[in-house]
Amino acid sequence: MLVKLRSLARSLYRVSEAILAAMLGLMFLAFLLQIAFRYLFNLPIGWTNELSAILWIWLVLWGAAFVVREEEEIRFDLVYASARPGARRVMFLISAVSLIVLYAISFPAVFDYVAFMRVESTAYLKIRFDWLFSIYLVFVVSVIVRYLWLAWQAAFGRAPQEFDPTKMGSGV
Amino acid sequence: MSIASPFSASIVAITALAFLGLPIGHAMIAGSILYLLLAGLDMGTAAEQLLNGMYANYIILAVPLFILAAELMNIGSMTDRLMAFCNAVVGRFRGGLAYVNIVQSIIFAGMSGSAIADAAGTGKMMQQMMTRDGKYPASYAAALTAVTAVIGPVIPPSIPMVIYALVSDASIGYLFLGGVVPGLLMALSQMGIVAFQARRLNFPVEPPTPLRKLPRIAWKALPSLMMPVVLLGGIYTGATTPTEAAAVAAAYALAISVLLYRSVSFGDFYRSILASARTSASIGMLIAGALVFNYVVTVENIPQSLSLLLAGWQLSPTVFLVLVNVLLLLLGCVLEGTTILLVIVPVLIPTARALGIDMVHFGVVVVVNIMIGLVTPPYGLLLFIMTRIAEVPLMDIVRDVLPFLWAMIGSLVLITYFPELVLWLPRLLGYQG
Repeated sequence: MLVKLRSLARSLYRVSEAILAAMLGLMFLAFLLQIAFRYLFNLPIGWTNELSAILWIWLVLWGAAFVVREEEEIRFDLVYASARPGARRVMFLISAVSLIVLYAISFPAVFDYVAFMRVESTAYLKIRFDWLFSIYLVFVVSVIVRYLWLAWQAAFGRAPQEFDPTKMGSGV
Repeated sequence: MSIASPFSASIVAITALAFLGLPIGHAMIAGSILYLLLAGLDMGTAAEQLLNGMYANYIILAVPLFILAAELMNIGSMTDRLMAFCNAVVGRFRGGLAYVNIVQSIIFAGMSGSAIADAAGTGKMMQQMMTRDGKYPASYAAALTAVTAVIGPVIPPSIPMVIYALVSDASIGYLFLGGVVPGLLMALSQMGIVAFQARRLNFPVEPPTPLRKLPRIAWKALPSLMMPVVLLGGIYTGATTPTEAAAVAAAYALAISVLLYRSVSFGDFYRSILASARTSASIGMLIAGALVFNYVVTVENIPQSLSLLLAGWQLSPTVFLVLVNVLLLLLGCVLEGTTILLVIVPVLIPTARALGIDMVHFGVVVVVNIMIGLVTPPYGLLLFIMTRIAEVPLMDIVRDVLPFLWAMIGSLVLITYFPELVLWLPRLLGYQG
């Protein structure tokens, strides 16, 4: 049972990775199309701009919700890395609980904002903004669930490890 | 602003959460939610600022595309051919491989906008070449690769400059041009150090490549050498926007790797697109957090207050720039660069404007500072990457970085005092500032 669940989780992770990669691939393609249309067919198109901007929001929030690992996130880890495992456990718990509480408190207001945006649609593709922005709700719920799990582990499981800074996804 | 205001509570919360090790993007979103809560404002604003900011700032799309371009370049055999070309040109001098390291960084700088990608892409090969048969000490080779990678985002294209353009509204095209002379100046200062060390420490000379072979080697490297021309030509002729140019760069890298060098499988392509998407999502979270937090900062009028405060001190532009340099170099020792660009720099920009400092000049000075921060201990990402690749202790690399660090700070002082070094090229090509 546990083995089956593990392999299910792994395949789900692979799928969410593939979706993330597809979003960047599509954005890349949209840009090439946009340039091609302007020069080859002398026909400037606007919907590619819009599609890219939509994909960017989804890429970041989808990635943060389901794909990016703890060690890839950009953080200030000088203090965290030099703390002892016991202290690290406490540090992680405090920050995780604060994050969960603040994200949870804001959720109703955030939900209202996204729901309210159903009154508007995007200019070219006519996508309703509540659909477009709904990924933010997915992101908040996923972050809360993830940090609940991580906090549980930090409290009762192994003390959290230090992060390898070379894995950090920094673009500079 | 009182001590116990919602704003100060939110600053304390963000700093505390960041110190505790929470990802900085999350820390900024959470701290901003706290501000909205305490100030009795609508907490939905957090989502509104984040989503609309991400949706409306079109130029930021250049970031994922430049990351993709760098990844695609690193999977092809572009790197090998460029290395052979550099070796044929400068390998024959005393300290040949050290010069090869610098020259290949200049060429890479013209193709990729990320110092981290440059070091991760070429670092291993450079390290092997330089340490084979004990030619150079491993720590020296690692230090040199780290400091030459610093030039990457100073010479265009440049991901940090795109992020600076986002927070300052300066033109990406002119920022890119403004980085050319400072980047070459930094490379020259590094060559000066190598020339000095080569004689004193008797560095080896590479067997010279016969001149009649040079055209063939150059021809094989030509498609890669043309990359900056394609990229920058597109921007400056107005054929493509800087964001589109990033997509063209990625397409060009893919095309020559697949068509000319035939060195890319579909698996390679998938892996690099996934790796780029992951990095983009992680920077994107930082940008998202900064969008929300910068809203709070703007509501509280912080940049203007600082500007007024500093106006009271009657600073000259030069003194202000020196203070900015000191501040950013110190922050660079402990913070990751994108964070400084997105959180600290926006607060400084109104003051710089009020003092009449040119936004392109300011941007290049800021980016050079942040790049130098990648090799300053204790927290320097390039140092960490080279420690990993070279498998030598961090402190040994730091020791060998030091002479180069002083040389780069020397270049920084020059471009700070003489804005013409930055602005000459943009003005030549039509910049009105």
